Amino acid sequence: MRKVLRLFSRELPFVSSLPAIVWQFFFMVAPLVIIAYYSVADSSSWLNISFVHYKNLFESTYFKVIARSLFLAVATAITGLLCAYPVAYFIALRVRRFKNLMLFLLTLPFWVNFLVQIYAWYFLLERNGLINKVLLRLGFIQEPLLLSNSLFAVFLVMLYCYLPFVIMPLYSTLEKIDHRLLEASADLGATPWQTFWRITVPYSMPGVKTGLLLVMIPAFGEFVIPALVGGSKYMLVGSLISYYFLAARNNYAGAAFTSLSAMVLIGTLLLVIVISRLYSLRKS
Amino acid sequence: MLHGLWSRFVFPIFVAMFYLFLYVPLTVLTIFSFNANKMRFDWMGFTTQWYRALWHSTEVWHALQTSLVVAGASVALCLTMSSLFIFFGSQRTVRRMLLLFYGNLALPEIVLAVGLMSLFYFSYVPLSMTTLIAAHTVLGLGYVVPIMYDRYQELDKRYVEASMDLGATAWQTFYRVVLPLLAPSLLVSALLVFIISFDDFVLSFFCASGSTQTLPMYIFAMIRSGSSPIVGALSTVLLLMSGLVVLIMFALPGRKRGLW
Repeated sequence: MRKVLRLFSRELPFVSSLPAIVWQFFFMVAPLVIIAYYSVADSSSWLNISFVHYKNLFESTYFKVIARSLFLAVATAITGLLCAYPVAYFIALRVRRFKNLMLFLLTLPFWVNFLVQIYAWYFLLERNGLINKVLLRLGFIQEPLLLSNSLFAVFLVMLYCYLPFVIMPLYSTLEKIDHRLLEASADLGATPWQTFWRITVPYSMPGVKTGLLLVMIPAFGEFVIPALVGGSKYMLVGSLISYYFLAARNNYAGAAFTSLSAMVLIGTLLLVIVISRLYSLRKS
Repeated sequence: MLHGLWSRFVFPIFVAMFYLFLYVPLTVLTIFSFNANKMRFDWMGFTTQWYRALWHSTEVWHALQTSLVVAGASVALCLTMSSLFIFFGSQRTVRRMLLLFYGNLALPEIVLAVGLMSLFYFSYVPLSMTTLIAAHTVLGLGYVVPIMYDRYQELDKRYVEASMDLGATAWQTFYRVVLPLLAPSLLVSALLVFIISFDDFVLSFFCASGSTQTLPMYIFAMIRSGSSPIVGALSTVLLLMSGLVVLIMFALPGRKRGLW
């Protein structure tokens, strides 16, 4: 008994480092394994493997859903980057006064509940919402536009909700750029544009990459925004997954579709990485 | 000449438009939460009746309580597990496992959500508040472990060595030396996990039983069912609270540049 106790107290440090790992395996790795298992499981017997759930997915409708989500995710990420870059650049390199205030205002939406942000858009997008009212008053349109319940609404709200994810990493890389590099470049006769393209952009690439990933991955599987502002016309990956698991209660088909979408996402990201590697290899 | 035009006008105007884009929806939301009209989009005069209704709604208080309990439990679990892991785990293990924890962030949340749901279904665990806490904790670990690891690496290890040399046990060193030194990052992590859990909708939607309704779940249900004007008032209150939290974060010592 004493021996056991001593052993226990000697191993206590090691034992106490374990909960995090165990938790991670139980609630992160195991769920993924289960999804993978369900996607190839045969409902008749425990140990049989069948690809029938995948086979059922080989239809253009499902691929259209995946392609639509992928397109939306890429569009959101790239538009977000184009909007966020000048702002991050401006705050990091140009602003001196009010910098903290501007940062504060930039950070705030990031911490506002997702649903609150989405709900705020209801007031703008609805048939008699603010956008329609302003446009009617200005005489740009005669009839109210149907803005809500469309793919465009999903795109707009996604852009809004994911902007902080791209702007934060961008800002922190731009902030770290050594000002002396920019000064040296200007001293050596580069125009501001040359300095921008040759110094600032290359140095901010890590932030660009992180930002794009941080938007693309969650946007691809986004479920709440399409459910609230997307209407029922267009299925997206997130809505179809939730349909399988919650409404149809078909875990097998749902798992197969989830795995297939995840594979498409990973495949796309890998492809982008490989292409950019090849490109930079050729350049050097 | 062109450059001057660019930096003096185009740039600031673009930035101003950006801020307008960020804040018009939130401002409109706030204004319309005082709208006397039940059909939210036409202004019919100022009222605070939705705030009073919000105050008296038992459903909201109940959802708030659930959210607070879940978030509090996730914070406690996350901080305990990750600080123990960082300090007591061997450096090699920790560094290897770090990638796995980063993985939590690289996964679309809905995949984790349906995975957890299938896991609970598979192992006959009924969905409850406990399953929800388990889900939020694993999400929080993905943020906290990397942060704590970074900050622990930055610590002066001579404090730890001195403490051990002077005869303290590993536990005493952990409790008396490492934890106090890590206090600022513990605080930031706690705030982060709390907000992630408090704001989370997707995991809650899939991993909580019908009787466990968190605040975001309540808002979602209300928006979907045509939304009573209480939601506007509730959203405005949440908006104010987020502002307060960000203010606190900005005031905290040891804020790194960028996010906090």
